[in-house]
Amino acid sequence: MSGRIYLGELEELILLMVALLNKEAYGVGIVDELKAQAGRDISISAVHAVLHRLEEKGFVKSKMGGASSERGGRRKRLFSITAHGRNALEELRDTRHLIWNLIAKTSPA
Amino acid sequence: MKPNLKPPAWINSLIDSFAPSWLAEEIQGDLYELFVKDILTDNIQSARRRYVVNGLGFLFKNFFWKRSPSQKTATMFSTHFKMARRSLAAQKGNALINILGLVTGIAATLIILTVVRFERSFDAAHSNVDDIYRVVRVSGNDMSEFRTGISYPVPVAMKAEIPALKNMAAMEYFGGANLDILNASGTTAKRFREESGCVLVEPSFFTLFDYGHGGIAWLAGNPDKALVEPFSVVLTKSAAKKYFGDENPIGQSIRFQKQHDAKVTGVIEDFPANTDFPFTVLVSYSTLTKLAGNGINEWVGVSDSHQVFIQLAPGITKEAMEAQIAKVHAAHTPKELHESRHYLLQALRDVHYDPRFGNFSGRTITRETILALQLVALFLLLTGSINYVNLSTAQSTLRAKEIGLRKVMGSNRKTLVFQFLTETFVIVLTADILALALSEALLPLLQPILNLKLNRLNFTDPGILFISLGIVVGVTLVSGFYPAWTISRFHPVRALKNSFATERLGGMSLRKVLVVFQFTLTQILVVGTFIVVSQMRFFQNVDMGFTREAIITARVPDRSAEGLKLLEDQLRAQAFVSDVSFSYTLPSGVNRNRSYSDIGPPESKEMKDYTVYEYVSIDPSYLGLYNIKLLSGRNLTLADSMQNILLNRNLSKTLNLGTPEEAVGKQLKMNGHLVTVVGIVDNYYSNSLKEGFDNIVMVAEPKSFSTVSIKLRAGEHANLPEAVQAIEQLWKKNFPDHVLSYQFFDENIKAFYAQENKYAQLFQLFSLVFLLIGCLGLYGLITFVVNRKGKEVAIRKVLGANVSQILLMFSREYVQLVALSFILAVPVAYYVVNNWLSNFAYHIPLSWWHFATPGLVVLLIALLIVSTKSARTANANPVDKLKYE
Repeated sequence: MSGRIYLGELEELILLMVALLNKEAYGVGIVDELKAQAGRDISISAVHAVLHRLEEKGFVKSKMGGASSERGGRRKRLFSITAHGRNALEELRDTRHLIWNLIAKTSPA
Repeated sequence: MKPNLKPPAWINSLIDSFAPSWLAEEIQGDLYELFVKDILTDNIQSARRRYVVNGLGFLFKNFFWKRSPSQKTATMFSTHFKMARRSLAAQKGNALINILGLVTGIAATLIILTVVRFERSFDAAHSNVDDIYRVVRVSGNDMSEFRTGISYPVPVAMKAEIPALKNMAAMEYFGGANLDILNASGTTAKRFREESGCVLVEPSFFTLFDYGHGGIAWLAGNPDKALVEPFSVVLTKSAAKKYFGDENPIGQSIRFQKQHDAKVTGVIEDFPANTDFPFTVLVSYSTLTKLAGNGINEWVGVSDSHQVFIQLAPGITKEAMEAQIAKVHAAHTPKELHESRHYLLQALRDVHYDPRFGNFSGRTITRETILALQLVALFLLLTGSINYVNLSTAQSTLRAKEIGLRKVMGSNRKTLVFQFLTETFVIVLTADILALALSEALLPLLQPILNLKLNRLNFTDPGILFISLGIVVGVTLVSGFYPAWTISRFHPVRALKNSFATERLGGMSLRKVLVVFQFTLTQILVVGTFIVVSQMRFFQNVDMGFTREAIITARVPDRSAEGLKLLEDQLRAQAFVSDVSFSYTLPSGVNRNRSYSDIGPPESKEMKDYTVYEYVSIDPSYLGLYNIKLLSGRNLTLADSMQNILLNRNLSKTLNLGTPEEAVGKQLKMNGHLVTVVGIVDNYYSNSLKEGFDNIVMVAEPKSFSTVSIKLRAGEHANLPEAVQAIEQLWKKNFPDHVLSYQFFDENIKAFYAQENKYAQLFQLFSLVFLLIGCLGLYGLITFVVNRKGKEVAIRKVLGANVSQILLMFSREYVQLVALSFILAVPVAYYVVNNWLSNFAYHIPLSWWHFATPGLVVLLIALLIVSTKSARTANANPVDKLKYE
């Protein structure tokens, strides 16, 4: 296990979305997905901010994609999850599983 | 799509201008995508609104404002500042010395420049300043007499006969006056005695001198009419307040000199401080016709206080106008007069800078003095910069490792130079800000010495702020560039190995040169100051040929024989009075009556046979009271009147009367009458020591007695205020209408040298500042050397050197440098001081000790600094230094 992982709730959620969208993640796509999957209304700028933070922490990487007409001929920045990001997610999930299992055992049905 | 289905463009341009370039595209893309989606699901308005909200949302995100490492300039700049801060913090001592030196230098410079700006602002704002001239009088066969007075009919004739005259203002500045404020019934309500500011002036004064912005503002009265009628008076705001308080001054009456009533017809704003027309009470010029009587048509007689300013029409040269004035003058006067007296023009721009003519404010400053002040300011900045250069090149060896590492890490020379310049800049800027504050704090304290009247703070003067900005840039470049250059030259490998020895640095020799230069400047100033102060002391103490201590003088209002006798008796009855004398004037002093006339041998006929003398009318106690020595003959009695006279030795010699004994009994012709010489008095200085002896004739003419001299008994000095009070009471009893205006005779004499005394004080201040900066630099250098040579000292001590040998080792070099600079300074100081002393007819003889004393003092101070600093190292236990090897 490599040190502690600092990941906020929204960061984790968006990192999950990036993983879900699998190399096709970008600002608007994530906003839509957050709405569809988690019922969360997050502003586009907030999403961008989190993506930048994740990139700084090394959980995602990005490259510019192709231009499309629906964006007025502008390119999108496509994000994909890094191995480090995936590890972080898995670690968080495992920790939760572990704790949930403990909860299941101790609390009476 | 409908045509207006476009997102608000301003959001896009906002993002374009603020977002990092590599972010703008994706942000705008995302915004656009959302926008399109919103249009499809909602209406266009809400889509546009959300576009704005979303777009603005980015402005509140941190990442939006971050800059990538590829945008170098901004970050590099801040890195430089960061590094500068760190390296300054690392060498606090050095930075402190540098800043202290620069603060003193810059503060002194700012103060000097404030003074220079103030002096140069005198009457410079008038919009016609380049066309305005003063008519001046130059006379004598060799054109050696420079005066300002113009005969009364001259301006009248000029106005009538010279068409090229665009404007003209004549004025008679009588300066002081008795002013009685009359109330409605015509009785005196209040009395005032003014010593300056009273003038007769033509209404055209206000059109000629407009003070840059439509002239002095009129608060009451009609500018065109107020000064037309005789006995009209216009007051400045503060004068009106002083005389009438809150009453309306218009229409009130003021009685001048107890006899002339004038009506207040106007009130104007106060004159600015930087004018040579310091008027407070302005009386109409037409009053002159009522006062001067026949003198108004007198082409020969002249009073220096009557001055005429003219404005030339465009295209007329000064010389052409002078020729025209000469023609007018020639047409009205006999040949003898207009051949020896010339009315010339002096530019208004020179009025403040030419002491030969003087001006109403009594304040002139020569252009040479201004230049000298500017030079001193420049040198002050230079010595501050020299400190910086010396200390930073000396310190550079300590930073060799840093430089080496920076170079290895890829710094090029340009960035290093820039880095060091930034460091310099931070220091200079700090010093400049502190200096600005310091000068602000000091200026009020220095105002009496500098004779400044500033009406605004330096901080708010854009000129001074601009200058101080210039100083920052200039000093940064001058003092920062050389160290930056040498330091950045280091070879990285050698620098990292620290194979630099102090001696190997090319800066060493330059450092010596700079120290010598700095101390040469300092010594010139210190030597100069020492001699100036000696000369001033000489002025205070030299025997001028009369006593000047413990004498109070005053003008006598009542000149009748009975009145004088009464006053004398009452004064003599006072215990503190030892002697009383009445006379026309005082033996010497700035403020006294002067009158001149001609005397010659009995057979004199033409003007050239006569000699000009100063007229002195005395009573029998005068010579005794002032201790003026009678060389031969007898003292005057009141019975001698105008028949029998005393001469001073100088006049007796001019008239070839032989020895003092031979002169007694000789006859002379004076004012057309024959008179007999009954005695010769010794020469005394009736003027300042800047001039020689005058020709003096003493007569006993009681009707011209206008001054009383009261000699106090020895030991009465402590009770001076009581003595003055007693005299004041006596005055009130005898002359209820007159305010006593007395002066101390010794102060009257001292006033001759007011200007010189101010310079002397100023120079003392300057040399102190120079010395301070120089010593700071020396302290910094020796600190560095001592630290570097700690081990060497330890080894020397181990090998048997004693403390004094080590002190000698450290001081030898600096003593040599200071001595060398003394040798360089002496010829310059000699030249300058000799020049200055030649202003005075009577001055101290320069001898070697005038130079050696201050030189020795500077050397001792330098030695003291060097040896106290090195003493600690010399006394240190060698073990402490060596055990870490």
